Amino acid sequence: MATRTAAFYTNPLPCKHLEDYKLKHGLNGYRSLQKFLRATLNGRTSVKMSEYLIARCISCNGSQGRIFLCLVCSSFSCSTHILLHARSKISHDIAVDIERSELYCCMCNDQVYDPDFDRVVVSKIIMDMPSKTLTLEDNTRRSSKRRKLNSAVDLDLKKIEQLALSKDGRAKSCYPPGLRGLNNLGNTCFMNSVLQALVHAPPFKNYFLSDRHDRETCGKRSSDRLCLTCNMDAIVLSMFSGDRTPYNPAQFLYSCWRHSTNLASYEQQDAHEFFISVLDAIHENDRNEGSSNEENSGLEGRKAFIDWVFSGMLRSDLICMTCGFTSSTYDPFLDMSLDLNTTPVNLADRSITSKESTRRSTLLGCLDLFTMPEKLGSDEKLYCENCKEKRASLKQMSVRRLPLVLSLHIKRFEHSAVRKLSRKIDWHLPFPFTLDMTPYLSSSIISSRIGNRMFSFDSDEKDTAEFEIFAVITHSGRLESGHYVTYLRLRNQWYKCDDAWITEVDEEIVRASECYMLFYAR
Amino acid sequence: MSVSNDDSMSPQSQLSSHFFGDLLDSIIVDVASECHRIARLGLDRQLEKEEEELRLSTQARVNVADLGNSGETNSKYVVDIFGQTHPSVASEIFECMNCGRSIVAGRFAPHLEKCMGKGRKARVKATRSSTAAQNRYSRGSPVATNSPYSNSTGTNRLLNGTPGIAGEEYSNSVIEEP
Repeated sequence: MATRTAAFYTNPLPCKHLEDYKLKHGLNGYRSLQKFLRATLNGRTSVKMSEYLIARCISCNGSQGRIFLCLVCSSFSCSTHILLHARSKISHDIAVDIERSELYCCMCNDQVYDPDFDRVVVSKIIMDMPSKTLTLEDNTRRSSKRRKLNSAVDLDLKKIEQLALSKDGRAKSCYPPGLRGLNNLGNTCFMNSVLQALVHAPPFKNYFLSDRHDRETCGKRSSDRLCLTCNMDAIVLSMFSGDRTPYNPAQFLYSCWRHSTNLASYEQQDAHEFFISVLDAIHENDRNEGSSNEENSGLEGRKAFIDWVFSGMLRSDLICMTCGFTSSTYDPFLDMSLDLNTTPVNLADRSITSKESTRRSTLLGCLDLFTMPEKLGSDEKLYCENCKEKRASLKQMSVRRLPLVLSLHIKRFEHSAVRKLSRKIDWHLPFPFTLDMTPYLSSSIISSRIGNRMFSFDSDEKDTAEFEIFAVITHSGRLESGHYVTYLRLRNQWYKCDDAWITEVDEEIVRASECYMLFYAR
Repeated sequence: MSVSNDDSMSPQSQLSSHFFGDLLDSIIVDVASECHRIARLGLDRQLEKEEEELRLSTQARVNVADLGNSGETNSKYVVDIFGQTHPSVASEIFECMNCGRSIVAGRFAPHLEKCMGKGRKARVKATRSSTAAQNRYSRGSPVATNSPYSNSTGTNRLLNGTPGIAGEEYSNSVIEEP
């Protein structure tokens, strides 16, 4: 079984003693140990040589505390006498902590790590698990196709940008192209904020700027002339036209209201809801258009471009707490809605440092919360195929595949069923400008379930999991009424897009703002 | 249970105390071993990043507060980066694509609502609000249309009052044009 170096761990350099051991014994020691490994449900693996006898130290016959098994002579020593053993025998340096299956170097007096050892451990775990629990899936070839398309589109964009700049004298080419205010048409700041974020999402805008949506053929096909993609195309091109006077997204509003009649009203609305509704509409449109579109180049299988830009895959694992049987399901997502941790932390209870109590109230904390194993209630017992009856279960989410553009939505409302009130949570949520999603990938999460062993699981990611922020939608005000503003990062400068007003702002203003939706791109 | 002196304990207490000590030791080593592994394999980078994130943002908030919170106020009378100023209600006029009338941009939405027959009386019941917010994973928070944010229950409709009023806070008072 070949191991790839997964992105999520760094392989520590072996100490001299471990190196010498490997040279001399190779994997023989590990392999002969393998049959004695036993995995427990909480992710720990132990070495159990005998069902009946307790391991005892050869020096003192004690069996308490940490017991080590020498990998050279298979003798047991307790932590007090392990050093004695290593000193008395030449090159009996490497041992295994039998409780935890961790390598120990007696000379360095420290725990050491070897991916080959971890691989042996993990293989045993997989062998022992109830059938078909851990899936080791092959990489699909989709990611490489996507990258090809990406680079082709990027080249087109450079051409478009040049064009945009040379067109209009008012282009004010010292400012990035595409920067343009949007008039508020009457409580439409929710729409304006979403449009600003979309128009500046690199793959999204590139699609339109490279003329991939042909308004000519589209308009003819759709008899009632309702095509949100066409409208979006018009908006993107207008934004990048070089004209800096505020644009009126009236046609777009009209089309949106015709498409989603339930949102068609003059009142303040939720930006996130609007965002999803727009993506849905364009997606629907894409599908209806069929495959007779001219610009099919590179998009084999006609993957809808919305999916190509925004769609990722989530993995949800249901783990039986009795036998460890895991059933996994995969769901695509266009954005991730993250809960804020609203459970009060009782500071008097334990000596929690102030750092810990704010732990959950950062974006990374929200992502931690999202991927934390959740114990399902006693009234929610699920049927376990292995145990053949209903058992208490754990549920854990992780990201199987990341999209090109990661949209995060912060659920800033809490609903009290008792008082039948909804309230906005307006804590400040710090968020990073560079986001590394590696710890939230399925490969990392699965690995953490079995003691963080070095092994690549279920990894569909050959591309980087590092993202850079490019847009933030903030909301200020109360639940019932407030104002949305988008901050955009273009060419390393932050701009505030407050309806028709575009101003330059310092990055600190953005950091201090109350984010509602965050947009990251690779 | 607090133990001061071994001699004063019964053999049973001694034994249980001993076991407890063993268990405690084992747990402590468990935690130490796990953390050691996490640190060595570089899996704790997130923690450092998070601390950095917190530090930067706390600093930012302090600085912004010092500047008198200029970031969040409505800067309606300010000149934008292109050197333009705009009135608080967009004054451009264009044609409504539904009825053909000339409408002021800032009043377009309320006009369109009436024009399309989507006024309060004619409003279609929200279909999205019926999907439970208790989905295993909710993609877009299903909200009732009345409030900017809400959970799936219809109780939120009560809070919001009439939409027109909520709108007043942001844009200037709207006089409906027939």
